[in-house]
Amino acid sequence: MSAGGGIILEARDVVKRYPGHVALDHITYRVHRNAVNVLIGENGAGKSTLMRILAGVEQADEGTLWLEGQPLQLGSPREASAQGIAIVHQELAVLPNLNVAENVFAGRELTHRLPVLKTDEQKSRSASALRRLHKPLAVEGLVAELSLGNRQLVELARTLAHGARVLILDEPTSALSVAETAALFQVVEELRAAGVTILYISHRLHELLHLGDYFTVLRSGRIVGEAERSEVTRQWIVERMSGRSEAERVASAGVAVASPVALEVKGLRTTAMAQDESVRTALDGVSLVLRRGEVLGLYGLLGAGRTELLEVLAGLRPRADGEVLLDGQPVRLRTVAEAIAAGIAMVPEDRQRDGLVPELSIRENVVLAAKGARVLSPAQETQRVRELATQLNIVAHDLELPVTALSGGNQQKVLLARCLACAPRVLLLDEPTRGIDVGAKHEIYRILRQLASAGLSILFTSSEVEETTLLADRALVLCQGRIAAELPAGAITDEALFAAASPQVATTAATSQQGSKL
Amino acid sequence: MTPIAQTLSRSNRLADRGARLLLLLLRARAVLVLVVLLAVFALLVPSFLSANNLSILSKHVSISAIVAIGMTFVVLAGGIDLSVGSMAGLSGMVAGYVLTHHAGGDATLLAVLAALLACLAVGAVNGLLVTRAGVAPFIATLGTLYIARGAALLISNGKTFPNLGGDASGTTRLFPAIGQSFLLHLPTPVWVMAMLFAIASGVATRTPLGRHIYAIGGNERAARLAGINVAQVKLVTYLFSGLCGALVGLIIAAQLEASHPATGETFELNAIAAVVLGGTSLMGGRGTVLGSLLGAFVIGVLADGLVMLGVSEFWQIVIKGLVIVLAVSIDQLQTRLQAAFLPYLMRSSTEAGR
Repeated sequence: MSAGGGIILEARDVVKRYPGHVALDHITYRVHRNAVNVLIGENGAGKSTLMRILAGVEQADEGTLWLEGQPLQLGSPREASAQGIAIVHQELAVLPNLNVAENVFAGRELTHRLPVLKTDEQKSRSASALRRLHKPLAVEGLVAELSLGNRQLVELARTLAHGARVLILDEPTSALSVAETAALFQVVEELRAAGVTILYISHRLHELLHLGDYFTVLRSGRIVGEAERSEVTRQWIVERMSGRSEAERVASAGVAVASPVALEVKGLRTTAMAQDESVRTALDGVSLVLRRGEVLGLYGLLGAGRTELLEVLAGLRPRADGEVLLDGQPVRLRTVAEAIAAGIAMVPEDRQRDGLVPELSIRENVVLAAKGARVLSPAQETQRVRELATQLNIVAHDLELPVTALSGGNQQKVLLARCLACAPRVLLLDEPTRGIDVGAKHEIYRILRQLASAGLSILFTSSEVEETTLLADRALVLCQGRIAAELPAGAITDEALFAAASPQVATTAATSQQGSKL
Repeated sequence: MTPIAQTLSRSNRLADRGARLLLLLLRARAVLVLVVLLAVFALLVPSFLSANNLSILSKHVSISAIVAIGMTFVVLAGGIDLSVGSMAGLSGMVAGYVLTHHAGGDATLLAVLAALLACLAVGAVNGLLVTRAGVAPFIATLGTLYIARGAALLISNGKTFPNLGGDASGTTRLFPAIGQSFLLHLPTPVWVMAMLFAIASGVATRTPLGRHIYAIGGNERAARLAGINVAQVKLVTYLFSGLCGALVGLIIAAQLEASHPATGETFELNAIAAVVLGGTSLMGGRGTVLGSLLGAFVIGVLADGLVMLGVSEFWQIVIKGLVIVLAVSIDQLQTRLQAAFLPYLMRSSTEAGR
């Protein structure tokens, strides 16, 4: 598989520090030529940082980069691209208002001697790049009208059109359907056959085992394992990722099945709608029961309807049909204020976009949702926020500092504190530990478990298998707006979650279909 | 600790102090500029600080300050209100119409109520266009700028309503008192300004409504998710701005004892200038009512001082523009400095905590 062999790109003794933590701690990483180099690690392990350094997006504090045995200085993504190193980001960086060809040449437009676009040449070169990907997309079609999978292909075409030798794919399948994923795998294998070196980041183990030639595991900014395909097993990866022989579950107090029902959802339906350039999945008859003191995990792929379900319960999205009962009483959830008054509070998925108000202080952010007096009293607020900060272990000396001064983990705790300040009975968490380092992650798990033991009912979504297995007392799997499976604590495994979450029966079978659905 | 380390930490502390001082100066820049302006004009124009001139100055300032206070909440919540100047014109014309056409007795109260209602209606239209119809605030209020101005012209067919203080038949009215009377040696408009300022800064710092306005301007999605009724809060900001526009229109009509449909043109731009000078971000979420008040003072003092110095009217306009551009540039500098010093400030505060 690794024909050609040798090392094409190397990061030697690289150190990258961020305020508060070391993201990469003296890492030496070698990229094998003409192979799929897989990089694995939990969120916050340093994968994305390392990729950004290799792609010139960020610069290392110490250490050197070597390309084909020559020292390499990368000051910007443009310089990396000139050396043939290209990255396709997890969050796709396409311009939806432009057409495919314009996207392929965005920022590097072909012009005549006068600054006039060579539109025809851009179109023909875009088309030929897409042909290499076996995807004859219309080059004059607007990117806004393409599916996520096809948008990704546009990004891939962009890298090919500019002659990438080393292609970095950062969690390329996190937003793709099974068929799209299978098509992507096909493309990756063809690119490798055509002599492109691939760097592939993912935490979906089955994908990695399927595709990878060389495996590198990162944990807390260090490389903790390197091996070739023949030596790698699932067990090997899991052990090195987590640093434990078997991942430890957050000790559950053992929720009595007889514990009273806190929240009941019956036959919930919503209509699909386009919002913020993404299509929201319609919920199609979702029913669930959440008991007092229970931590219920909601697993599903992107677009399965997890966020939509939470948004209905938080009063953000109207429901077309169905009933929501809180402690046996039906509740109307027409606005967020109504949901909070009823005792349902939500921590959103995207802290920066939907959670924090950067202009306000830590204190003001915490008390934002609380029903307060007619006249605010900073002294009372400070005291309340102090209590919550102690309870949740928010590390901040001065509560009057801007909330942006905190680390990701502490910012997440601020949002948690905002919800707790409303004294909720049901806590909704959308991806509770997204973009948080491992230590803070486990701390948040412990805090959530404590809150649950104190009688709070928690419903959380996660696209991480590990998080679901560690935190949940019980897991529901959503697929295309429906509950596809219910798994009791003992039965939450990677295989069970994947199998239930995929719209098609088996992923391996889908691979051979070669994504004809695209 | 070695002597070298001691020296280093001392110089660090000095740099820290310097940074804090610079930030403090930047934050207080509106006050500094105002003090400098007053000093310069007092030196160059001996009569500048005379009681008579200060009285005239305070009337001018209070008019732009009232509009600026109303504008502040709109801008803090991430909007803008271009229609305030037209509302001032509309308010005066509505009052003039009522006073002129009301037969028998003093219709001052009725005129004031009608003017306030007319402008609150325009404010409500602004708020509903922005929150329900989803029109961008700039466009929505640009539309009502024209509509309100047109309505003001239509009321009198473009003519002035004269003799609002009383007419030839001998009826006298209370109306001019709104703009001309004194209370404790201070003109009424100054009192109106002071009251609005007290209410507005109380609301901004002490009430949930104020907190919600800042939150919406800072991150509207987050505000919505925190259960804040974003539409209602925004509507309130436009209503308050309309109220301020109406008051200014009434004051001007009362001062002149006449109302003219062109009253208030470009007031909205003066108000925005004052708000920005006062350090409020046009992106929303950051700023103070006091800042806008100071901004209005700076613009007012500058305008009157330049007149007294005999600077040509055309140069005055250029200078006003320069001051605004400079102020916003300094604002950007402050934002960048704050961002640069944030880790620094944090470190020293955690160290102090140990």
